[in-house]
Amino acid sequence: MGLEGIEVEVERGGGLNTEPMILNMGPQHPSTHGVLRFLVKADGEVIRAVVPDVGYLHRSIEKIAEKVGYHGFMPYTDRVDYLAAMFCNQGWAMACEKAAGIEVPKRAEYLRVIAAEFNRIASHLISVGSMAMDIGANTPFTHALREREKINDLLEALCGARLTYNYMCIGGVTWDMPPGFAERALDFIERFEPLIDEFNDLISYNKIYVERLAGVAAASAEDAINYNLVGPNLRGSGVRFDLRRDLPYSVYPELEFDIPVGRGEVGTVGDCFDRYIVRVLEMKESCRILRQCFAQIPDGPVLAKVPRKFKPPAGEVYVRVESARGDMGWYLVSDGSEMPYRVKIRTGSFTAMAMIDKLSRGIMIADLVAVIASLDVIAPEVDR
Amino acid sequence: MRGYLSNIREAVTTVADGLAVTFSHLVRKPCTVQYPDRIPRPVQQTLPPRYRGILDVDMEICTGCLACERACPINCIAIEIAKDKETKTTLISRFDIDIAKCMYCGLCTQPCPTGAIHHTTEFEGACESIGGLVRRFVSEPVVAYKPKKGPEPDARVAEVLERGKKYLDDFAKPASAQPAASTGEAAG
Amino acid sequence: MKVLAQALLGEGGLLGSLPRDLAAALLMFAVGGIVVFGFVLLVAGVTSWVERRVWARIQSRVGPNRVGPQGVLQWLADGVKNLLKEDVVPAAADRFLFLLAPYVVVAGFTASFVAIPFAASFIVADLDIGILYITAVTSLVVAGILMAGWASNNKWSLLGGMRSAAQIVSYEVPAALSIFPVVLMAGTLSMQGIIAGQGAAPWNWYLFNNPFSFLAFFTFFIAALAEGNRTPFDLPEAETELVAGYCTEYSGMRALLFYLAEWGNLYVIGALVTTLFLGGWQVPRITENALLLSLLQFLVFFAKSYFFVFVAMWIRATLPRIRVDQLMVVCWKYLVPIAFFNVAGTALWLALVGLPGQSALASGARWVMTGIGFLLLVVFARRVVYHIRRARPELYFSPVI
Repeated sequence: MGLEGIEVEVERGGGLNTEPMILNMGPQHPSTHGVLRFLVKADGEVIRAVVPDVGYLHRSIEKIAEKVGYHGFMPYTDRVDYLAAMFCNQGWAMACEKAAGIEVPKRAEYLRVIAAEFNRIASHLISVGSMAMDIGANTPFTHALREREKINDLLEALCGARLTYNYMCIGGVTWDMPPGFAERALDFIERFEPLIDEFNDLISYNKIYVERLAGVAAASAEDAINYNLVGPNLRGSGVRFDLRRDLPYSVYPELEFDIPVGRGEVGTVGDCFDRYIVRVLEMKESCRILRQCFAQIPDGPVLAKVPRKFKPPAGEVYVRVESARGDMGWYLVSDGSEMPYRVKIRTGSFTAMAMIDKLSRGIMIADLVAVIASLDVIAPEVDR
Repeated sequence: MRGYLSNIREAVTTVADGLAVTFSHLVRKPCTVQYPDRIPRPVQQTLPPRYRGILDVDMEICTGCLACERACPINCIAIEIAKDKETKTTLISRFDIDIAKCMYCGLCTQPCPTGAIHHTTEFEGACESIGGLVRRFVSEPVVAYKPKKGPEPDARVAEVLERGKKYLDDFAKPASAQPAASTGEAAG
Repeated sequence: MKVLAQALLGEGGLLGSLPRDLAAALLMFAVGGIVVFGFVLLVAGVTSWVERRVWARIQSRVGPNRVGPQGVLQWLADGVKNLLKEDVVPAAADRFLFLLAPYVVVAGFTASFVAIPFAASFIVADLDIGILYITAVTSLVVAGILMAGWASNNKWSLLGGMRSAAQIVSYEVPAALSIFPVVLMAGTLSMQGIIAGQGAAPWNWYLFNNPFSFLAFFTFFIAALAEGNRTPFDLPEAETELVAGYCTEYSGMRALLFYLAEWGNLYVIGALVTTLFLGGWQVPRITENALLLSLLQFLVFFAKSYFFVFVAMWIRATLPRIRVDQLMVVCWKYLVPIAFFNVAGTALWLALVGLPGQSALASGARWVMTGIGFLLLVVFARRVVYHIRRARPELYFSPVI
């Protein structure tokens, strides 16, 4: 990508000739979350424009779906967003089930929600941990990762893998809970909830941290909706919209949980701190959901009868899943054959990239790192 | 003035609280596992039985049905069979799995009728040439296994078959075939 | 030894043509310089190991524990590795300044070691202006950092160098202002003189002398951390923003020299705080043997100053970074007024109340301040216990893993 569209201005007047400098926060940088490139036009420390350059991690996953078929595509969905892989599995499974009219057993739905909420906690742990690390505190990152390792151990016992789970399949889930899983999981949740409070004591309300994030890059509710922000980014701007409550799917109607939104408690509504604290509070809500799931899960089969050669009738479906990074849309066009005709995945990180330029006018370079981290942009989700 | 003093007070209290948390970590046990030499048991023994490690094939019970080759989304399994019309047997002359390409998704283990192809807890697959990453399970052509109607007479093969069956039992069965399972303990 | 001395100082020797005392002085300086620099390298290297172990335990990790017993020789391995690395000088860089910068930085902080009082009779040079000399010489690093930032021909390095220069120069002011209360109480700038004015027991330290010097301790410590480019003021080397700031383009031993300077500077900060506020090497007179007493004083001084090195590492592991404009706000709007307040307050205190022994209030105030200090420690310990109770972790007290 060249520099067309970024003219270097020479400002005259005041007796001093100055020109803004173009900095390249290149694909390799310790703080861009993944392989992202930003061209930053900065006047000293103050930013004038940010141009994101995406596509470094494009792997044609949507095209691959047309080649491997419905069952075979499930492992690929893990790689669309590898930090919140369960949601991608769930989205694809729901799209295929909706296309073919398959009903998923109740126990399978509960297992899906259990796996998904654990994955939400793990994804948020990385998000808040790496945000703290970008601001300069290295300890919260390792503490968050230590807890995430325990979740990884739980999910490893459940489905055999720690990152790319391939746990759900069309019609249900591949395995039932192993013996002793519920006890281990509930024990983990009980030990984990006080650690969220410890995390808050360590870094969330630390004066230096708060001063770095308060009032920085505030996105108003109107802007957030116009720019298509979703998930914790949208809720951080004060918009109380969550697919699990407003367009419920799976067994979420039977579960009780709150939707945390940003209240501008230290600065403006919709600033970086609000987006950060919404994620921390969502972890607590996920613990609540998990407890209810383990209490309410019924007995029964965990897999509906689905033919090996899966051929949904011709048509199109669009399914939305509340992933850790927001509303993830799965659009499937089938032509009645064994291979899908077109799969399109709509991710929250891709649209968040567009907001970065608007949010970063007038902030400093050190703040740009905070903005990117608070939007929780993940490169594989941006490029697919 | 009040804002000034409250700023100082907030700074001091939150920084001191953060320092207290980190100081309390100095007396906690680190969570590092000092692999591979300073650990009480080898890691392979601590992994759960469902762990999706490197694939292994028990050729004694492989029926040569090619279900795993068809199921693999990434075409990393290469099998060559020859059906013998007179003796009604299948001869498997080649069974290669390229573990460099394999993405450890487990889709090949699900349709196997006997559980011959299965994941192990092996994860240390590094070797010095990329050719070494192709696991060849057939050195000379072997006769494919034919599932018997009753119990298996050969004791050695019966043992392998038992393991394969136990591996397959862990997978969820489709709704109509599965009796109601209880929460946790009895399942799997 | 004698042959060497003869060869160098004798009639036909190397330095024989110079006047006698000048030659002897030069020789003494050379040997002294080598000894001091060796000690400095050792301290900086071991500090890097301690920092990595302390940091790791705070983060629930182990840290280096393979090279040598418990990893003590890790810094040697790092040093050897860096010496063997390719020395890359960017083609478009200003070659002379690029090569000179690390040495200016190292010279700046090494020179301060000559005035640090390790024991009553164990100081390289007991200057009359000891503390002023140290403050002046540690400012040399600004020149080195600016050179490094500019000569690298890299926008990120330039930003880092500029930020660092602004930071160090600004924080000189509250640091120097916080030294004034101590100087007022001691009546001299000499390091040994400042220590002589204090005693061995905590209530005889300048830290607990009066409330103003108590505050001065905190402002001095914070300003000194900023001088040493330590978190929360380590924006010039912020890894996540500027890759490595002013030392991005440096590789091999030159880069290691920058980090060595930072760790060594940590020790200088600790030594300064100990000398000014914690009574330095003062110990109760428990033995008449002079050598043993000196050794004890050295150990006490080293322990006290290393405690502050540990505190600086602990702070680094805990706190995030302050942004550059907030850095300036903290310095000029908070630290400088408080430091001025401390100076004025100490001057008034000394005029009206006096030193301990001159009035009952002075003698009593130090007991009150010691009590307050002890109380703060107890409150802190209780908070630590509360955190441990809430998290219910598996405990492991030994530093040996």
